[in-house]
Amino acid sequence: SSWLPQTVPFRGSHWQTSLLVFRASLPMRAQPKKKKKVDVKREQAQKDRMKKKIKKLEKAAPEMVPIEDFATPLKYSDSNRVRSLPPLSFEETERRVLLMKKWCLFKQKQDKAEKKAIQTLVEAQQEALKELRLESEELYQAAIRRDEGLLPFERDGPNYTPPLPGYDPPEGKCVDITKVYTQ
Amino acid sequence: TAAAPRPWRLFGAMCLLRLPRITQPLEKEEEEMAALMGQIELERSHYSDHEMRKLEEEEQLRRRKESTYDDDEAPGKTVIMAQDLEDKWEQKLLQFKAAPRITDADKNNNRTSLDRRLDSNLMLLVKQKIGNQELWLLPQAEWQPGETLRSTAERAMATFFGDHIQAKILGNAPYGIYKYKFPRAIRTENNVGAKIFFFKAFLQSGDLSQAELKEDYLWVAKDELGDYLKLEYLKKVNRFLLD
Repeated sequence: SSWLPQTVPFRGSHWQTSLLVFRASLPMRAQPKKKKKVDVKREQAQKDRMKKKIKKLEKAAPEMVPIEDFATPLKYSDSNRVRSLPPLSFEETERRVLLMKKWCLFKQKQDKAEKKAIQTLVEAQQEALKELRLESEELYQAAIRRDEGLLPFERDGPNYTPPLPGYDPPEGKCVDITKVYTQ
Repeated sequence: TAAAPRPWRLFGAMCLLRLPRITQPLEKEEEEMAALMGQIELERSHYSDHEMRKLEEEEQLRRRKESTYDDDEAPGKTVIMAQDLEDKWEQKLLQFKAAPRITDADKNNNRTSLDRRLDSNLMLLVKQKIGNQELWLLPQAEWQPGETLRSTAERAMATFFGDHIQAKILGNAPYGIYKYKFPRAIRTENNVGAKIFFFKAFLQSGDLSQAELKEDYLWVAKDELGDYLKLEYLKKVNRFLLD
């Protein structure tokens, strides 16, 4: 007879058809379906709420960037920082008031002189253009044309002393600590 | 087609200005006002960190002198006082020597040099032959048909300086005009006189060692123009020159 003792691996349950297949705890297929739906719904509702919040935040106006120059740091409002100087005498206040009045007059004269100079400049140019027009129309048109290369005009302003020839300025490093705000 | 004969001959002249390199000295009122503003600023200010430190250290010194043996800090530790720092900075400032505002050219009154009178505008004057006279003028050239007046003025500058000049011409329009009639001897129907159109330019390059000036030239300030230019010419030129 061909009956041989075979060692057949014992199947734990009748749900497990083969040993090599994934052994899920039984009974898996019989999970209640209600839980899934509710979960999905809940997740959907949560996502919508998040999206609404994000939209609200985005719609809100951007925050104003604080101007740091206008806010005095608190350490400078200490009372022991106040300078102690003798009060001004009567003559001193008088002198100051008179000086302010003289300055007012000085600046007015300076301003008037500047305006007059600019006026003569413009008049001289108008006269020149008039004469040019009498001479030849095409030269006049060429003169009125805008000069594109003129602006932007750059110039290094005058200093107090002329540049020292062969001066070697000392080395240094500049660290920029300005705060940058992002919207 | 022949161009219509013009009774007036056209010239383009260039007023080349060297801009000031140093500030003008302050007027008396300006100086007084600057001092007053400094004083008011000082009165209205609070103490800075450096000044606070200085005051505290003075307090400490005073207390140490009054009490016989005050040993706040550990001995052997050298502390730099604010006063020492100030002295050090003062020393460093005194060691630095800036370039003088009044240069050698000022002292010698060398009118051909560009280093004279660094606080005012200097303009170029050239000696040119007009008719049978040698006159001091702004460099000018006769207009040729086919070019604009601005290019005439540029050509005038190029004839005197060569090509190594860097100047920024302020616009296409002339700034002033000087017209005069020829003396009766050479005046004809078609040759009444001349119109000189002035253009303004700022000198950009600092050194003109490359440029070779062929004729006699001078760099003069506005108040010295009267020494060289004729009266009528000077009047017209002064109109478009700002001080």
